[in-house]
Amino acid sequence: MVTDFVRMAESSQIIAASSSDDGFGGFGLVFLLSGFIFYAVIYVRYRNVDKRHNHESETESAMFNMQEANDFVASKSGLTNSKIDGANNDVVRGARRKFF
Amino acid sequence: MPMDNVEPDAHQQASPQNTPDVFRTDEGAQDGLAKCARCGATEISLNVATGNLRCGFCRFEWATENAIEAFNLNGDISGLTGILVGSGSSDIVPSTEEILTFKCSACGAEVVIDTNNSTQARCHWCRNTLSMNQQVANGAVPDMILPFRVEKSTAVEKIASFVGKRKFFAHPKFRAEFNAENVMGVYLPYMVVDINAHARLTGEGEHQTRSYTVKVGDKEQQRYDADVYNVVREFDIQVNDLTVESSSDRLDQNTSQNSNNIINTIMPFDVENSVRYDSNYLAGFTSERRDSNLDQLSPIAHTQAGDITRHRVNDSLTFYDRGVRWTAEEVDVRGQRWVSAYLPVWLYSYQQRNSSGKSFLHYVAVNARTGETMGSIPLNQSKLLLVAGAVQLVGTVIGLVLVVVGF
Ligand SMILES: [Zn+2]
Ligand SMILES: [Zn+2]
Repeated sequence: MVTDFVRMAESSQIIAASSSDDGFGGFGLVFLLSGFIFYAVIYVRYRNVDKRHNHESETESAMFNMQEANDFVASKSGLTNSKIDGANNDVVRGARRKFF
Repeated sequence: MPMDNVEPDAHQQASPQNTPDVFRTDEGAQDGLAKCARCGATEISLNVATGNLRCGFCRFEWATENAIEAFNLNGDISGLTGILVGSGSSDIVPSTEEILTFKCSACGAEVVIDTNNSTQARCHWCRNTLSMNQQVANGAVPDMILPFRVEKSTAVEKIASFVGKRKFFAHPKFRAEFNAENVMGVYLPYMVVDINAHARLTGEGEHQTRSYTVKVGDKEQQRYDADVYNVVREFDIQVNDLTVESSSDRLDQNTSQNSNNIINTIMPFDVENSVRYDSNYLAGFTSERRDSNLDQLSPIAHTQAGDITRHRVNDSLTFYDRGVRWTAEEVDVRGQRWVSAYLPVWLYSYQQRNSSGKSFLHYVAVNARTGETMGSIPLNQSKLLLVAGAVQLVGTVIGLVLVVVGF
């Protein structure tokens, strides 16, 4: 049950984030979810279930002999998303911390 | 045991060039009575303030050789090929005893060392301390050890302060029973890995050229224009001192079952300051034995090396402000070097039992090198639900008013 709230918290954070994107449109929604958000914030602050060692950035590493290719393909216009579809250059696959 | 299913070079493991090359790390190590060079006493322990070993009788102090220098581990990672493994990281032979018996050379009595929580024991008869420093195939004696540097009193303060900020919604039983003085100093088992790899990442990146608003009906909406590129990055990458838990219990970090993620979070350690293994560092502390081998840990280390690679290459992708979608990531591990280590943690543990009889072990952990502190505090669920309900009630009223006003 508790983990449901964490999931809810994550989605409410997304709602909060997206509402700030388009002005005050969803501002009321944050209030309508305030109890859930409060629960999740406290839960995470006490239990720290979201914490882990950020091995991807906290481990020393260095690149050498870089070869780059950047070939223009096309220009797109009228995109509704601020990010590329399926962006995965920030994903982390080796985290040991799991929620379920 | 949870296992990652990503194994970048599984098929390479079998090839003969990838059979591990073992270097001895317990050369000259002796089991039995480790005596003070000045007075011959066996009452030796770490002086946390100096990082030296100290004789409890004559106060003579001495330093142990830095492990990185002793084993020549600071060599250029770019020249690393194959698999190099410290002898203290060798595979555990399942039949090897975990409880070992030694003959006390002072009085002849038999002394038992339970390697699950130390590599030292005191002789009941003559009170001398017996140490085990030679590596046996049970994972108890690692290649190196990083001594405690944070004093117990400091750890107690840090834990008390961490818990003090989280008292209001803490479980009443926990509040009543909490005493930071009960913290224990534990050396936990890790593998420290250096990796030399060649990487080639291919995909598509997008660069934003324009951001504007359009009118859809009577609402303004955001739109973007972008240029799309085929992106390739090919490079050598060196990973230094990647650190992975080497106990199957500690590797299980399912937050609905345990709070091992807390101990994971206090990494990294300054492993480069590790010294050659000497059981005397364990006096006054406990240890946990390594129970996982390279076979189990390689997939984890290689997946994490992939994460490090992906993260590192972002340095060269700043032009792609809309992000990159990699379609192929090849990370070819050409060389790897593994050493096992005991790393120091101040650990406060609290067993929470709920009415259904299930129990959950909460930790507050302090990295005994850097002081980084993290913890899990048992919650007073009913109090939290009550307050959250009240917040919800007030929030609903305000929210409805805002919606009506048309904010
Ligand atoms: Zn002495
Ligand atoms: Zn004896």
